[in-house]
Amino acid sequence: MKNKRSFTEELSPRQVLEIDACTQCGECLKHCPIQDVTGNPTVSPPEKIRMFREFIRATDGLKARFFGPGKVDRKLLEDFVKAVYECTTCGACGQNCPVGIFTQRLWPTLRKEMVKRGLGPIGAQASVPNAVSRSGNPYDKPAADRYQPWFPEQVKVAERAEIAYYAGCTGAYEAQPMVRGDALVLGAIGEPFTMLPPEEEVCCGFPLFITGQHDLLADLVRRLVEGYRARGVKTLVCSCPCCVNIMSRDWPVFYGSDLPFKIRHITQLVAAAVKEGKLKYRKELHERVIYHDPCYLTRGVGVIEEPREVLRSIPGLTLLEFDRNGLNSRCCGAGGAARKVYHENAVAIGRLTIDEAVAKKADRLILSCPACYAKVNEAMVGHKNRIQITDIMELIGSMIEGEKS
Amino acid sequence: MTMGTILVVAAYSAYSVFWARFLLHGLVWWKAMKRLSTEPASPTTAKVWALTVSDVFLFTRLLMVNPALWVGEWAFHASFLLVLLRHLRYFLNPVPAWVWCIQTPGTIAGYVLPPALVYILVIRLFTRWEKYASPANMFLLCLVLVISSLGVLMHVLYKPDLVDVKLFAWGIVTLRPAAAPASLLFLLHFILVLVLIPFLPTHIFTAPLVMMEARKRKKALRLVMHEE
Repeated sequence: MKNKRSFTEELSPRQVLEIDACTQCGECLKHCPIQDVTGNPTVSPPEKIRMFREFIRATDGLKARFFGPGKVDRKLLEDFVKAVYECTTCGACGQNCPVGIFTQRLWPTLRKEMVKRGLGPIGAQASVPNAVSRSGNPYDKPAADRYQPWFPEQVKVAERAEIAYYAGCTGAYEAQPMVRGDALVLGAIGEPFTMLPPEEEVCCGFPLFITGQHDLLADLVRRLVEGYRARGVKTLVCSCPCCVNIMSRDWPVFYGSDLPFKIRHITQLVAAAVKEGKLKYRKELHERVIYHDPCYLTRGVGVIEEPREVLRSIPGLTLLEFDRNGLNSRCCGAGGAARKVYHENAVAIGRLTIDEAVAKKADRLILSCPACYAKVNEAMVGHKNRIQITDIMELIGSMIEGEKS
Repeated sequence: MTMGTILVVAAYSAYSVFWARFLLHGLVWWKAMKRLSTEPASPTTAKVWALTVSDVFLFTRLLMVNPALWVGEWAFHASFLLVLLRHLRYFLNPVPAWVWCIQTPGTIAGYVLPPALVYILVIRLFTRWEKYASPANMFLLCLVLVISSLGVLMHVLYKPDLVDVKLFAWGIVTLRPAAAPASLLFLLHFILVLVLIPFLPTHIFTAPLVMMEARKRKKALRLVMHEE
């Protein structure tokens, strides 16, 4: 395959340096969830970088300078596409990289380069743009079902408010106990909050961004930002780590300027409400619970302490930690939009989380991401180890239920 | 054509290939720099500088993730640097005082270098906990191991005529090829260094920059979703 277009076109200046800076030491493999379940070094971070260097050499190397761009081995390209899309983009490799390569951002950029060349995305990911165009969400579900099945009747939503709540597609369609918990807790805090009508609350763009399909992003972001601006929003709250990641890091880029509101994860709002005495629990919970950090919440946007503060505030609760926690957390298997394509990997990784939680004798596994919630629940089907899985806001919601909203 | 001339031409070729590679990489970076980065710039504070210096010179990040390998890698890189600096006495005339000052540490480093490399290779290839060994890295490590072992052998047992070595090296610097020293070990040592030069990894230039970016990013992470 001949390539006139440089393989570095989509990379930022920093990422070009990063590709070069990898020492191929392989430390990252010890932290890669895909390695944990496949043991296949061909899909490892240093191999992806080694292959991508070959591609750059073909379009920008010495031979290419004198004799024009060279051929790129088709098999190598196929291996690379598989490796870069099998990755969960959790970023644990970068967190433990002796050089400090920001892989959580690098892998999606390399995917974008593959999309530009017609080699990506793969499998079900390819249908995401059409689904989002048609119905506003990657699951191609009707907008009428976005809030109706789970939104608590007693919780009031204001037409205009300084706080807005974005439910997100995965929460609304695949992790409904979680978003129901969000709404209950927001109602209990008592600050007025607004939401976009279901047909206006479209995809945040993350599934498109993470699979390298950027065409619709600017339009989606503009529609959402303008919708919240029109409602006088100053703080946009969301419980999905992937959504808050793209909102805080990438929306300003696609919108073309700073956002007219700040982005907050729901645990930040709840932790503050607990401190200020705005949220009171009606029950105690005498359980040992273990909290799983979502990759895009910790390594992505640095929200680590607030979920723990919220959990510790529950009377009677004992909080346990995974061996890998905080910035070093292990992916649940659902990341990088790989869960729909490499289902077996995702289930196997999810089971590692379940197994560790059971080994630590936790009564309950607490999650705070709809993708984690959907995948870890799926991983428990047919698995020998069992544990109760609860989203953090689902738990808080159950602790305050009965409270006047 | 004498052996000395052949080796000098080979030295210029190896040196040219190294710089051609470096310039090509530089060209790719320069092209990328022309594109506007969409990533927010983080400030470089004194703390970021200090941590980066520690990352570059003490390999702090490697120490955090793999202390066993860190021992070998740090000993290898530090002794390799000292040995390189020690060799400057062959290529500079007059020899600066600081080069004379590092002759003894450089000699000690020469003895540390081969065992450090053997240690790294053993950890990389024969321990259960290491999951990956890059063939390119293994080739370079083995090459440096042979070069450094030959260096130790020449220092301990089969000393070449150092005047001949100096004249030969100085001939390369001044573009006046001189006769190669009559030592088989030296010739092997020199030829393997010429093989090594074109393969020197460019991460020696880029990794420090990426390490600094990583420190800046770590400092800025909390500000993504928190107030100052």
